[in-house]
Amino acid sequence: MDLMRKLAILTESAKYDAACTSSGASARQNRGDGIGSTIAAGCCHTFSADGRCVTLLKVLMSNECVYDCRYCVNRRSNEVERASFTPRELAELTLEFYRRNYIEGLFLSSGVCGSPDGTMERMIRTLELLRYDHRFYGYIHAKAIPGASPELVERMGLLADRLSVNIELPSEASLRLLAPHKTRAAILGPMAQIARTARQNRQELVRYRHTPVFAAAGQATQMIIGATPESDYQILRLAEGLYRKYALKRVFYSAYIPAVADSLLPTPDQKPPLLREHRLYQADFLLRQYHFAADEVLSAEHPHFSPYLDPKCSWALYHPQHFPVDVQTADYRTLLRVPGIGPKSARRILDARRAGSLSNADLGRMGVVLRRARYFILTRDQPTGVKLGREAIARALLDPAAFSHGAEQLSLFAPPRLEPAISGAAPTLPEAVEEVIASLPHPL
Amino acid sequence: MHIVATDREKAERVRASIPEKIGLEALTLVEDVFLSCMSDRELALLRFLRLGYRAGPVVLSMHGHPRVAPVLGAQRALLGEAHLYKGFTRFADYGGTLVGIIQPKNCVLPHLARHFALRYPNEDFLLYDKTYHLALSHRGHVLDLQPVDSLQLAPIDEREARYQALWKQFYRTIAIEGRENPRCRMTHLPKRYWAEMVEMRELF
Ligand code: SF4
Repeated sequence: MDLMRKLAILTESAKYDAACTSSGASARQNRGDGIGSTIAAGCCHTFSADGRCVTLLKVLMSNECVYDCRYCVNRRSNEVERASFTPRELAELTLEFYRRNYIEGLFLSSGVCGSPDGTMERMIRTLELLRYDHRFYGYIHAKAIPGASPELVERMGLLADRLSVNIELPSEASLRLLAPHKTRAAILGPMAQIARTARQNRQELVRYRHTPVFAAAGQATQMIIGATPESDYQILRLAEGLYRKYALKRVFYSAYIPAVADSLLPTPDQKPPLLREHRLYQADFLLRQYHFAADEVLSAEHPHFSPYLDPKCSWALYHPQHFPVDVQTADYRTLLRVPGIGPKSARRILDARRAGSLSNADLGRMGVVLRRARYFILTRDQPTGVKLGREAIARALLDPAAFSHGAEQLSLFAPPRLEPAISGAAPTLPEAVEEVIASLPHPL
Repeated sequence: MHIVATDREKAERVRASIPEKIGLEALTLVEDVFLSCMSDRELALLRFLRLGYRAGPVVLSMHGHPRVAPVLGAQRALLGEAHLYKGFTRFADYGGTLVGIIQPKNCVLPHLARHFALRYPNEDFLLYDKTYHLALSHRGHVLDLQPVDSLQLAPIDEREARYQALWKQFYRTIAIEGRENPRCRMTHLPKRYWAEMVEMRELF
């Protein structure tokens, strides 16, 4: 089979994996003897037709698989064309793409081709060619194969910047149902090993400068959303637990796209839950960057995200007791909780107020989204805040992403789990405003 | 319009006074804003500097001030575009030399030099800026930035054509049907970058 065909097959079968970032750059320094570098911020090289950032050459080593996970296009029982790269082919392709600045590096995963260990050996061979023969200093994200032996996981971690294991589904019950060959232990085992080894490695690095670096950019994982019945609350709690327990750098959420008919899965005519995926990323961001806890964002009583409000606005509306916030005195974390203020503008506020008191116009010039923030802050021109009707506030906070082209119809995304009363037709903007207001707590 | 002739000696005095009176960061800011595409940047800088001489280093913290916010914004735009070009630049192999063309709004080459030199320490490369008619070259480990009127390129060879075709194949395949979102792509990758990107050119 020629390389063009292989590339098509092995890209096709890798594309559902959500992660493609190169952030959290490695400590690997190009000593001038090779090719490549990494930048801490990560770097998008292009955007595909689905609007996703393309950073890495994301392919499978092989799409042959001895397992039969129900949700996966590569499962044994699915009839698709199979292919495998040789380590040499893939290493060269990566290098040539990298030279032309198409990519930031390689994202390598694989079906279980033969045995987990055999598959890992082949992946490791590819990475060794890149790192040792070609002196490649670019970014490598590798996926450890569940069930692989700890020695191989360790070897892979010394070659990759980021090493991860997919948790696949948000609960053990779902895993048992849809991926009978994978056990929770086979997934969490390597995850724990990676976290442990990375921690020891950091300590050794402090003591011995020449210790090889183990997965400098940490580990990530991903799970499929919408194929199984878990609530947003369950998913967010799981993510929070993973961040804490395994020191994960990122959890990725992948809206399930029905690729094949299966009695246990959503039917192929169902739209992927993109808005839900979007809300999960927003909430995940609140956990990682805004110091929120999962229990603040959702609860057992309110286990699902609002389709109309992003999670932060939602939190602000339900917690009027925390507002208004005085921009002149509030600390960083308090500022972060104001709708319309992000990490950058919060830092600018802290910096700027040393030079004098701040007006609304000042804040606007600093990048604060006043349209949202003004209801929640005290500034020089509004020392006692603004009193405005609930409707105006709700309207200002409605997420435009939920309404396509700013039109009055909720149509861009398939909204997840709307109230039964409106689940038939897409609600209009005034209806959405009304629904949001109706669900608000009283003292606002 | 009022034209002020350059007086080298005075200019040097002003340059030297900036780090002294306002700080090194302010000098970097001024240099960056000169590279930016902000209209009337000279005037904006003049206003900023006069405020800076009065206020001192704290001027850099006045993010919301009408004389400070615009120049900080221009600097952010420059650095932002430079960052985008770290990803969006495409090179083609012409007999061992990598050649790329960009068409930026801001003059980003000075901010790309170090990046590409570190990335390709052993490659010879040439990056041509069509907007500002500047070329960044890296030959035998030496970096150079020179004005260049235009760039004539020979047709690419077979090997290069093969890698371009492979890349286009990858690009087409990696998108997920059922999630097409041209508006989102356009927001992240505006059309003005497409002409110099192998995978976007034919969609252009
Ligand atoms: S092991 Fe991986 S490639 Fe194989 S069927 Fe399961 S998810 Fe797909």
